[in-house]
Amino acid sequence: MSVLTPELRRESEEIAARYPTRRSALMPLLYLVQSAEGWVSREGLQEVADVLGITTAEVEAVATFYTMFRLEPAGRYVVSICTNLSCALRGGKALYERAHELMGPGAEQVTEDGMLTLHEEECLGACDAAPLVQVNFANYDRVTEEGLAELIEALRRGDPPPPSRGEHPGDLKATSRLLAGLGPEGASE
Amino acid sequence: MSARPPEIITLAIDGKEVAVPKGTLIIRAAEQLGIEIPRFCDHPLLDPVGACRQCYVEVEGQRKLMTSCTTPVAPGMVVRTQNTSEQAREAQEAVLEFLLLNHPLDCPICDRGGECPLQDQALAFGPGESRYVEPKRTFEKPIALSPLVALDRERCVLCARCTRFCDQISGDRFIELFDRGAAEQVSIAPGEDFRSPFSGNTIQICPVGALTAVPYRFVARPFDLKTADTVCPHCASGCNLRVDLRRGEVVRHLARDSYEVNDAWLCDKGRFAFRFADAPTRLTHPLLRDPGLEPASFGEVFARVGTWLEDGPGRVAFLTGGRLMDEDYYALSKLARTVFRTNDLDHRRYRSGDVPEAVERAAAASVTITYRDVERAGAILVVGLDAEQELPILHLRIRKAARRGAAVFVLNARRTRLHDVAEHVLCPPGAEAGFLERIAGARGEGDAFGRARAALEAAGEGAVVLAGPRLAEAAGGVGRAASLAAGVGGRFAFLARRANDRGALRAGVHPGLLPGGRRVADAGERAEVERAWGLPEGSLPDGPGRDGAAILEAAARREIDVLFLVGVDPLRDFPDAALARRALENVPHKVVQDISSDAMAIYADALLPAAAYLEKDGHYSDWEGRGQRLRPVRAAPGIARPDWEIFAGLARALGGELGFDSLDSLHEEMGELLGPREVDWRPSGRSSAGPALGETGEDLVLFTYPLLVDEGRLSWGAAELKEALEEPVTLEVHPEDAERLGLEDGGRARVASLAGEATLPVRITSTVARGSAFVPFNNPGLAANTLLSGRFHVPVSVAPAGGEGEAEARGVEEVAS
Ligand code: SF4
Ligand code: SF4
Ligand code: FES
Ligand code: FES
Repeated sequence: MSVLTPELRRESEEIAARYPTRRSALMPLLYLVQSAEGWVSREGLQEVADVLGITTAEVEAVATFYTMFRLEPAGRYVVSICTNLSCALRGGKALYERAHELMGPGAEQVTEDGMLTLHEEECLGACDAAPLVQVNFANYDRVTEEGLAELIEALRRGDPPPPSRGEHPGDLKATSRLLAGLGPEGASE
Repeated sequence: MSARPPEIITLAIDGKEVAVPKGTLIIRAAEQLGIEIPRFCDHPLLDPVGACRQCYVEVEGQRKLMTSCTTPVAPGMVVRTQNTSEQAREAQEAVLEFLLLNHPLDCPICDRGGECPLQDQALAFGPGESRYVEPKRTFEKPIALSPLVALDRERCVLCARCTRFCDQISGDRFIELFDRGAAEQVSIAPGEDFRSPFSGNTIQICPVGALTAVPYRFVARPFDLKTADTVCPHCASGCNLRVDLRRGEVVRHLARDSYEVNDAWLCDKGRFAFRFADAPTRLTHPLLRDPGLEPASFGEVFARVGTWLEDGPGRVAFLTGGRLMDEDYYALSKLARTVFRTNDLDHRRYRSGDVPEAVERAAAASVTITYRDVERAGAILVVGLDAEQELPILHLRIRKAARRGAAVFVLNARRTRLHDVAEHVLCPPGAEAGFLERIAGARGEGDAFGRARAALEAAGEGAVVLAGPRLAEAAGGVGRAASLAAGVGGRFAFLARRANDRGALRAGVHPGLLPGGRRVADAGERAEVERAWGLPEGSLPDGPGRDGAAILEAAARREIDVLFLVGVDPLRDFPDAALARRALENVPHKVVQDISSDAMAIYADALLPAAAYLEKDGHYSDWEGRGQRLRPVRAAPGIARPDWEIFAGLARALGGELGFDSLDSLHEEMGELLGPREVDWRPSGRSSAGPALGETGEDLVLFTYPLLVDEGRLSWGAAELKEALEEPVTLEVHPEDAERLGLEDGGRARVASLAGEATLPVRITSTVARGSAFVPFNNPGLAANTLLSGRFHVPVSVAPAGGEGEAEARGVEEVAS
């Protein structure tokens, strides 16, 4: 039972071939695994190592450093709330605690309906929009407690509202696929 | 490649001027002035990283303090270290206080206590007392990264020396910094061992007690130890090491820095296979067969040898291993020729017939290539060598050269661990000459041959061809390799493998060469030796001697009366176990001289106890030919003594005289004959290209060589090392051959040669050359020489066999009986 199906293996090769050194495809391939599993399992880490011809330790070092990769099963939407200084001063910590209450037990892993994962985040480089909430990497600026409650409701319905900039966030699998450098339908560009 | 002299830059540190090459880091420039800046992550052989912040200095004109380990010097720079800058001193104190926040007060139970850079620098540069009262970071302790390396994470200061070593030096990236921020830690991936033959280096460079050696945990304190500087007894890399003894027993080997040789590294065998000299089988007194083995004096043994020779000098031959000292080999070379009047002596175990004389003579006469030449090479071709397994530190040097931009090519029957930095051409064993010919003849082709040729040509005098000892067995191989190097104006090495194979060659433990590479067959060169030895002209034996294999053959045919086996076990070392057994059975008198008795005891008529590497004063010559000094750290057990003393005593007892009774007089004489001499290594004329491997009529060519960690005698007691690195025996077969022969991965195969047969687990891999199959020479379950008949490769028939499990082997003789 491998994570990377023959089709995904083929796509991995395609991604790896885009870089002068294969190793550079590490992050895209982690996204590819995340797009397949909805998170990145131990098997997933090993298979990425295998595709790139590097050690699992190298893959894991990267995967554990970056918070974009979920190393435990996650909901369809990862709600990241920044609690670093700028956001904390503007109520980020309170937002985070409120989100905890709203999402209920298991918020840090997966909510009971399988839809959400809460994540306390470090500075996202958008301090001017503090307090900041990200949903699958799409930014929601200056979120209030009411706004947060509406956002969470909408996410539970699988219907994220438009973010402050850019595209509607897809679910974690779809977003990860985009970040792997693959189009939504599996088209290669 | 001609190196342009680097630009020199002058700067001032603590008010003193220093001139250093452009690009030098401040911390290195300070060292030149004798100014010590505290540091943890900095290591002169690793790329700078600036991870620990301990090395802050003030640089005039900069608003902030600078880390001296990452900042290169600039002209006119004014640097103030903790000695002259209050700001730098305070910052260093603060950093130390930070580093100690999470560090446990573990010193009393930490192996590093007493030799710990953190302890030392906290005392020298730290604030003395901590203001921190909060709880510290704790971890489960220790975790085993491998059977050799333990990690106490709470002691780690996250300097990344260990992980950078694995990235930049060994390339075995099994340990990494996982997680981030306060959770950051060194780790392996679950299910993936720290399986690197260089793992022990991370322990030695860890600046705290976070990484410790399992075989040394809780064994000793630095003040318990007796220490001496010596040279590694295992391979011809020549690593400088320090032996630590506690109550007379070896407890540790550490690397000594030696930038000309091993940089600061050891392989794990050199580091962890240190118990053999304390094995219970150590010989402490001479033994004589009577009919059991009874204790005797040296004099009694020598007298007995005399009785075996009563009808004249008789038919005597000498076989040696590769780990005696230069002094020992020299004494033996003289003993054999002056007292026994024979040239039947050899140290080699590879069939020698095909090595051009010029190559061996040059290697015996002088140093023609060094580590430094390898390190600075523009292109390197490695032939017939698995460098990681056979000469590990040379392997690291080749990797270093690759990092500096050298183009590296490997021509071998099996992929090597250089695979990430070198282009490999897999070549069936024995057919190397033809492949070398293709490289030599390539003209701009876009394949590996063309690329290798172009790279060597472009490198010119920076081209290096390194030929492994196995190449001696490929018809025309060594000659081709040398001609290729000569053809592009580059350098060439015919490598030695065991710790002092090269010293044996220099001393003339060789049927055709006298000391210094002088030829037995050349009357003039013979006369030089006769003069040095004070012998009348024409008195040295001038007939060609027998090489190692021929000695065994003659012994088997009952043409030898007395066989001396010095530091060698032909049953295990020679590529023909059946021949070795017949030889031992058919020689009436066998004298075994060794550090321990082992398997040879049942054959020996006399056993002479020799001193081991740590009990000797003398020299080893590494693969370069560089002579390095061994220093004794303890007396030999019982009345064991250095081999050269035994040879001198034997000569005297037989009415001869070697002419030296002290190390000084021996050195004086050796100096006369072994000083460097000009001998051109370039083979004259064209050596014949070997035949391409034709149809052998058999299924595959089986080849073998000893892996670094195996059942060799010098790995006695190294249980942790074996657990960490010893490979189980498998038959490695190329997928195409496997398909043709109906073999399955993980299944078993019956392998039969003319010499024997074995049933072995199969591993299918495209890392061996098509048409060939590999087994390790001496790993548990199979002594591969039971399948060989004189060379390290042999045609075999291969068929699938049922069942599963480990290797089983039988020699033909056993099959027949
Ligand atoms: S284990 Fe030792 S060498 Fe490795 S990062 Fe920690 S302190 Fe540095
Ligand atoms: S490379 Fe060779 S000489 Fe160096 S430590 Fe290892 S076995 Fe000893
Ligand atoms: S502190 Fe929250 S985005 Fe910077
Ligand atoms: S020694 Fe300079 S930052 Fe560590």
